[in-house]
Amino acid sequence: MKFAWKHALLAAGLMLGLAGWGADRAAAAGTLTIAREQDSTTFDPAKTILAPDIWVLTQFYSTLVRSDITATKILPDLAESWTISPDGKTYTFKLRAAKFSDGSPVQASDVVFSLKRVRDMKDAPLRALFSPLDQAEAPDPATVVLTLKTPSPPFLATLAMFAASILPEKAVTAAGDKFGEQPVGSGAFVLREWRRGDTVVLERNPNFWEPGLPKLDRIEWKYVDNDNTRVLKLQAGEVDAATFIPWNQIKQLQADPKLNVQLDNSTRLDHILINHSHKPLDNKLVRQALNTAIDQKAIVDVVTSGFGTVANSFFPLNGVDYNPDNKNYAHDPAKAKAMLEQAGVKNLKLDFVIVAGDSSHEQIAVLVKDQLAKIGVELNIVKLEAGQQWDALVAGDYDLGIMWWLNDVSDPDEKAQFCVSGDPENRSYYTNYNNPEVSVLVQKAAVELDPAKRKEMYYKIQAIAKDDVHWIDLYYSPFRNASRSNVKGFVQDPLGRYALETASVE
Amino acid sequence: MIAAGVPALRFGRMPRWAGPLPLTVGIAVIAVWIVLALGAPWLAPYDPFLQDLAVRLQPPGALHPFGTDNFGRDILSRVIWSARVDLTMGVIGVAFPFLIGTGIGAVAGYFGGAVDLIFMRILDMVLAFPFLVLVLAILAILGPGLTSFYIALALVGWVSYARLIRAQVLVVKGSDFVIAARSLGYSHLRIMFRHVLPNSIVASIVFAMSDIVLVVLSGSAISYLGLGVQPPTAEWGVMIAEGQSYISTAWWITTFPGVAIVLMAFGFSMLADGLGEKLGLDG
Repeated sequence: MKFAWKHALLAAGLMLGLAGWGADRAAAAGTLTIAREQDSTTFDPAKTILAPDIWVLTQFYSTLVRSDITATKILPDLAESWTISPDGKTYTFKLRAAKFSDGSPVQASDVVFSLKRVRDMKDAPLRALFSPLDQAEAPDPATVVLTLKTPSPPFLATLAMFAASILPEKAVTAAGDKFGEQPVGSGAFVLREWRRGDTVVLERNPNFWEPGLPKLDRIEWKYVDNDNTRVLKLQAGEVDAATFIPWNQIKQLQADPKLNVQLDNSTRLDHILINHSHKPLDNKLVRQALNTAIDQKAIVDVVTSGFGTVANSFFPLNGVDYNPDNKNYAHDPAKAKAMLEQAGVKNLKLDFVIVAGDSSHEQIAVLVKDQLAKIGVELNIVKLEAGQQWDALVAGDYDLGIMWWLNDVSDPDEKAQFCVSGDPENRSYYTNYNNPEVSVLVQKAAVELDPAKRKEMYYKIQAIAKDDVHWIDLYYSPFRNASRSNVKGFVQDPLGRYALETASVE
Repeated sequence: MIAAGVPALRFGRMPRWAGPLPLTVGIAVIAVWIVLALGAPWLAPYDPFLQDLAVRLQPPGALHPFGTDNFGRDILSRVIWSARVDLTMGVIGVAFPFLIGTGIGAVAGYFGGAVDLIFMRILDMVLAFPFLVLVLAILAILGPGLTSFYIALALVGWVSYARLIRAQVLVVKGSDFVIAARSLGYSHLRIMFRHVLPNSIVASIVFAMSDIVLVVLSGSAISYLGLGVQPPTAEWGVMIAEGQSYISTAWWITTFPGVAIVLMAFGFSMLADGLGEKLGLDG
């Protein structure tokens, strides 16, 4: 035994030494190593809507304009200045002198090419957002003129989103389908290496237009899917930062002086989708009964360890035109039971489709099953792999299902269009919710140029959607990142973009 | 594993109690689990599904000897109720492979020839894959759930029994009493059930005891992966999966079901060892 002990001690000492050595070296070289929960699939900004793609690729590209860190204001980016014609249909941008990472200059023709590309590409998931764009022209290399079909108040915010990234026409054409693996942009960082399922390595872009930035030389995004392992690696100093810290460990990590827990405002809402085409869920009274039976506070306490906020609207907390006073349902099982009886519904059995292995989903399912059992509704929990669950929701093969939403655009139009407008393609986020009054309001708000009137319309939409229970709002939650205390500025804006160009390791 | 070349039951020796120590320990441990499983409604202090958010994440104490989980459910009650699920899982999970494997192995060994050849080649094919990989693949096709798990086990687990019984049958079928029975003109069925099987099944029974360990462990593993028993059912693997993210803040959620799995596996291992010793098999 003595012998074995010696070996164990030696090994432990060696591991500690290595961990310490790793941390020192990282600090000296200005390298930020981040452990994250998923790997990327592509870095082509037009072709993805997945967070793990977007959060890395936004480091590679610049956009004409960008949103500020609160995602409520629009700031200049590649465009130094811009003017909008009084009729709201013509946008003229003046470009600054900037270069792509391959050294070629950013020209107006690249802007025209990039915006037309995302609008016209067949497999671009967000191309509908660019449909107001009628013509894009480049009268000279530093001027871009965009003409819209109709006035569109959300359009400037749309230009600030990742899908509107400005790409070099030459490099994109040369790379073809491979561009997603060999991105070239004018952002703060460039892709050095991508080992799939393992690590994405970024290096600073020497041609970045903003003087003095980025501060870091190198960023490594390491894929570590286990929540506990990510935290352990952070505590051991093997990585400098970690994403998606488990809710129940936040308090413990906050007490650690070597670590910084960063709970940044986000536009995330977790909600329960309801399939309105399945009887009796087409009955508003039944949906209201379900919502009344659900105890949102309990879900916030158990799932998010109290770090979330009870949601009272399908608009995100911290989002533009969110109504903090939107009327919510009070948790009342007795009332919910009476409502079900009034609707004449007995022995209701519902399939609840969730993602297998997602601990938030499983906890919500256990809680909701218990809460609905109290009003006589039997919930059958169906656990599917993430991709299959999404397919089931899209195919309408569910009664209830858990989903979440993070805004991609600071303007509320995107979410209203996608979640309640009754659009035949996305069917109100696959719920088949269709209220003509809401549909009309959404389209009116989309072209309303007076911000006050627009806000009023969005307040009304939030109220009707809540009354209709188009889905069941659960909770808002902040982003949850943690980093070693020598890391500065590891922050996310409410749309999810990491502001890594200003981050540093001391 | 049990070595081949096992002698038949020794008739003429009176069985007497004074069994080997492992057997005594094994029987005692398993008896405790059976009592807990059958008596769960009376022995468990709380309803295993009762969520009481006011007492979330309580460490072990007087009111909750094993503490409470993130839903405020009593861990002790859940561990006790799980014994039902896991014992049932072990017994059913072994019964089907045992029956199928014994049947196929006996037929193959007894008749030999083409029958033997075909069954043994199928057996080789199944054996070519690692056990859990094949079970997981079948579960992926059938979908999650206990029924799928049993079907998967039956499809994969029979090979060990078939191989074991075949080897025994090959030995026994050459013995004088079988040749005698044959010359008396008894039917194959009668020879098989009256003479061959009783004299070749001991090793399989002993193996079944140790196989229960494997089944309970893989059942828990599969529930942990979300493919077996579904929450909110109390099952040790499910409990460990549910408590996983709390491992550094509330160790008791995962520790107690973990200890329970180990203890049940220990009981059956002892039982298998002791039985082998008692019946004169090499361990």
